[in-house]
Amino acid sequence: MASVTTARKAPSGFRISKKALPYVLSLPALLVCIGILIPFFTAVINSFQRYRLSQPWARQFNWGENYLNFFTDPSFWNTLRVSLTYAGLTVVLELLLGLGIALLLQKRSAFNNFVSIMLLMPLMIAPALAALMWKLMTNPGFGILSYFASLVGLDNFRWASSPDTALLTVVLVDIWVYTPFIMILLLAGLRSLPTQPFEAAALDGVPRTFVFFRITLPMLTPYILTATLFRLLDSIQQFDIIYAMTQGGPGDTLTVFQVEAYLNFFQSTNVGRSAALLIILWAITYLLSNIFIKNWLRLRERARGEA
Amino acid sequence: MHEKEKDLIGAFLRGQVDRRALLKGLGALGMTAGSAGTLFNMMSTQALAADFDWKAHSGKSLKLLLNKHPYADAMIANLQTFKDLTGINVTYDVFPEDVYFDKVTAALSSGSSEYDAFMTGAYMTWTYGPAGWITDLKEWINDPAKTNPNYAWDDFLPGVKNSCAWNGRPGGELGSDDAKQWCIPWAFEQNNITYNREMFDKAGVGVPKNIDDMISVAAKLQKDISGIYGIGLRGSRSWATIHPGFLSGYANFNEKDLAVSADGKLSAAMNTAGSKAYHSKFVQLIQESGPKDWSTYTWYQVGTDLGAGASAMIFDADCLGYFMNGGDNKMAGKLSYAAFAANPEATASTPNIWIWSLAMSNFSKDKDATWYFLQWASGPEHALFGATKMDFVDPVRQSIWKDEVFRNKLNTSYPGFVEMFDASAAGASIKFTPQPLFFDVTTEWAATLQKMVAKEVPVDEGLDQLAESINRQLKEAGLG
Amino acid sequence: MESTSTPERILRGIALTLVILFFMFPIFWIFMMSFQTNETILQIPPSLSFTPTLSNYMALITGKLTTAAGTLDIAFMGNLGNSVFLSTASVAVSLLLGVPAAYAFARHKFRGSEDIAFTLLSFRFAPPLLVLLPLTQYFQWLGLSDTYIGLIWVYQLICLPLILWIVRGYFEDISADVEYAYRIAGHSWFATFRKIALPLAGPGIAAAGLLAFIFAWNNFVFALVLASASKQPVTVGALAFVTSSGIQYGQIAAAIVLSIAPTLALALYAQRYLVEGLSLGAVKG
Repeated sequence: MASVTTARKAPSGFRISKKALPYVLSLPALLVCIGILIPFFTAVINSFQRYRLSQPWARQFNWGENYLNFFTDPSFWNTLRVSLTYAGLTVVLELLLGLGIALLLQKRSAFNNFVSIMLLMPLMIAPALAALMWKLMTNPGFGILSYFASLVGLDNFRWASSPDTALLTVVLVDIWVYTPFIMILLLAGLRSLPTQPFEAAALDGVPRTFVFFRITLPMLTPYILTATLFRLLDSIQQFDIIYAMTQGGPGDTLTVFQVEAYLNFFQSTNVGRSAALLIILWAITYLLSNIFIKNWLRLRERARGEA
Repeated sequence: MHEKEKDLIGAFLRGQVDRRALLKGLGALGMTAGSAGTLFNMMSTQALAADFDWKAHSGKSLKLLLNKHPYADAMIANLQTFKDLTGINVTYDVFPEDVYFDKVTAALSSGSSEYDAFMTGAYMTWTYGPAGWITDLKEWINDPAKTNPNYAWDDFLPGVKNSCAWNGRPGGELGSDDAKQWCIPWAFEQNNITYNREMFDKAGVGVPKNIDDMISVAAKLQKDISGIYGIGLRGSRSWATIHPGFLSGYANFNEKDLAVSADGKLSAAMNTAGSKAYHSKFVQLIQESGPKDWSTYTWYQVGTDLGAGASAMIFDADCLGYFMNGGDNKMAGKLSYAAFAANPEATASTPNIWIWSLAMSNFSKDKDATWYFLQWASGPEHALFGATKMDFVDPVRQSIWKDEVFRNKLNTSYPGFVEMFDASAAGASIKFTPQPLFFDVTTEWAATLQKMVAKEVPVDEGLDQLAESINRQLKEAGLG
Repeated sequence: MESTSTPERILRGIALTLVILFFMFPIFWIFMMSFQTNETILQIPPSLSFTPTLSNYMALITGKLTTAAGTLDIAFMGNLGNSVFLSTASVAVSLLLGVPAAYAFARHKFRGSEDIAFTLLSFRFAPPLLVLLPLTQYFQWLGLSDTYIGLIWVYQLICLPLILWIVRGYFEDISADVEYAYRIAGHSWFATFRKIALPLAGPGIAAAGLLAFIFAWNNFVFALVLASASKQPVTVGALAFVTSSGIQYGQIAAAIVLSIAPTLALALYAQRYLVEGLSLGAVKG
């Protein structure tokens, strides 16, 4: 590799040393984004303060007190539990459904391409507006979905308004909005898989389930990891759908991190607690994505080695 | 030309003749309503201009932050009058109600000097005031050099005016002598009953007289009329669920949200026996006759259902009922209004109120000019314009409520509204204890109410838990 | 895979129909609502019999909305324009910065490359709410508040990591041999990048750009907090129909239809690239 790039002179006036080139290419992106670290650190500092906007005189460092309070605060543990449940449910269900749809649309045809684009439409509606429409569609009087539910005998299905079904309902809306995202990534992955292994398997008469689990799925894993990673990052930080549908209710059923932090900031103006909550959310996301990226890189290295 | 008429209108504007006498006098002089209106507007601009230098800040510019609301629309429709009167240029940013207060918090917390004045609710000033984001307006109101002689601060309904004044001490009485006027009331909402006349007639029921009556009337309506539910109430996990009907009824039983001790410490007061009894009844009301998906109900759903004929009545803001009686609502013209006292022993209704008000940003670059706008926008001329020509209900000035044109407009299209207002105006004020943890307390209160309605927790136990949690938070914040 | 039996074809057909029903029915319903007034939308039980009206679209396009409380001015078309401008400009900047960086990560293993790549990704998972409020203050000081430049910069947090990671995977999958051959023929690094690498990665770049565009389009909290009313996107604009005198469902539905249209057109146009282009991390045998 090194021998290739030596002797040649660039015709375009300026030269960048080979060593510097990757930095020249990647650093602008980093520099542009790095500015965000300043407000980030401000937020970290805020999280270590007793800081309510409505009591400016009482603002002071209380060192980890905001964090320590979480340990004894049942509402925090509820938030953690609900957030993880929500993220787990949505990601797993969307992954299964997205994979299924991708398999259905795998064959290259004008029809399948068209359908795959049309299925992207839910993704194109801002989640807050989508939630507003779902709220109308699940209204017991005017709602078409409630009407359908009553046709099949679910007369008193209360969707987002009952603690028993609220989680289910917001997960359903999340699935509707975001499954297309996973679907399109996995469809692209499926279509780019090499054909030889499948042809060979077909010739040998290998059972289809065996092919799926032993060939398709392993080869698709890098795509699944990427799709899951991006989805997981967004899902654990879900706000729009839940807030628009239930504002975190009924009771404390859906007080996920962002909803709780939002209420803490914008309504209670308790900046310290809000920042501490979000830092914990950030740490969780950081940890999860670290695991994902490590695995992703490992898989890629292995695949490269085999190729 | 029109000299006699001008004299008469002038007398009215100086407060020597009331509106009724004015109209009678003009009628005698053979003026039509239309030409009287034109003349009146012309004269009122002149009257405003008299004895006061409205042009003192001519050439300056102000910027407002407004909520997308009929009140803001009414102001914008009349804004040219202010520009002509003062020579001050005014621009404004309007944001949807859903995100409006987030925008206000974001703008003020960053110390932005972009906006000079903005719309707010009185509850919000319990945060904005101590945070140092807004200005005490007393200094301006009491300065004759800065406030025009026709402003008539005394004309404001006392309960409403006082509800916008607070001394900043957690638990301090609203409207006390040392209170700061954090905002000027613009228009307000009393929480009473708006009901569907047709449905009430059909079910053969009368307007409920107290909370027990409300429970049985709502149940009968729901049973007798197919496809509807008895009573519209808000139920989302938000302060907005607590402050309308719920708190109005609660206050009617003399129950309090918080208790203030002699040394100024706050503690939760929702777990008294009286409070528990009221909660039980209210929960029963929701369970039996409220909307099926009550826990997601906000202002919008309560209104939509009433307007579309999905509910028989609401115990909510009177102006919500007012809006639903017009426009393209299916039930437009079929709604009536009534005052409601939840406590059978109470003599009158004691509605908690929401007040859309105007506040001055502490970061405004020119507070004197901003005050010019505030005194015009909350002044008698604009109040009359808003109430008679636009949907500026409920007006906060007593003179408007005496105005015949306004009363006639209400009596013609909004049956019972004036009586409802007259019956409850005296008892109308903010029933919350002013303190900076207002939103923490009310949000948790709403969440608890949701749990009780869903039968996740019994009323007694739920309220004890709520009180315990609120006491802990008050202590944490140094208030308890 | 070619040898699909008849029962399997039927099963696949049923499954696909169900999928299309689930995902498309709400869209269809929103589309229908956009031609109705609140009066027919709010029927019990809901029904499809109505006289279609264009009034919602007229209101949006002319900027006049008639409600229970009189006529309101609305700035929807301005919001739509802002969305188009903000999303396009943000994606353009992201591509300009992200594609070379992605190329660097894919082709050169340099000291700290994985760290830089991960750091860039990590910007994506800082909760917006966390940075937003300190940011309003800094924007104030820097004079960036209420500017398009400030907004486009913040939008990089949404677009750049996505583009970087998708395009990176794509570059890694294109064999480097062609590029080497081209360089040996005496062409500069830049010429190679422009003439060989970019065209080969075209579908990947197009697809990443489109996804980034969708995410930028759907954002609303950044503009809400950091800019004045004149710079708000459709996502904020459409909320203006949630008025205190009632929710104008018809107009919201029409607003949704109008706001999907540009993205959908873009997606249909780039259809071919879209699916092929997202084959990030493909492991070519």
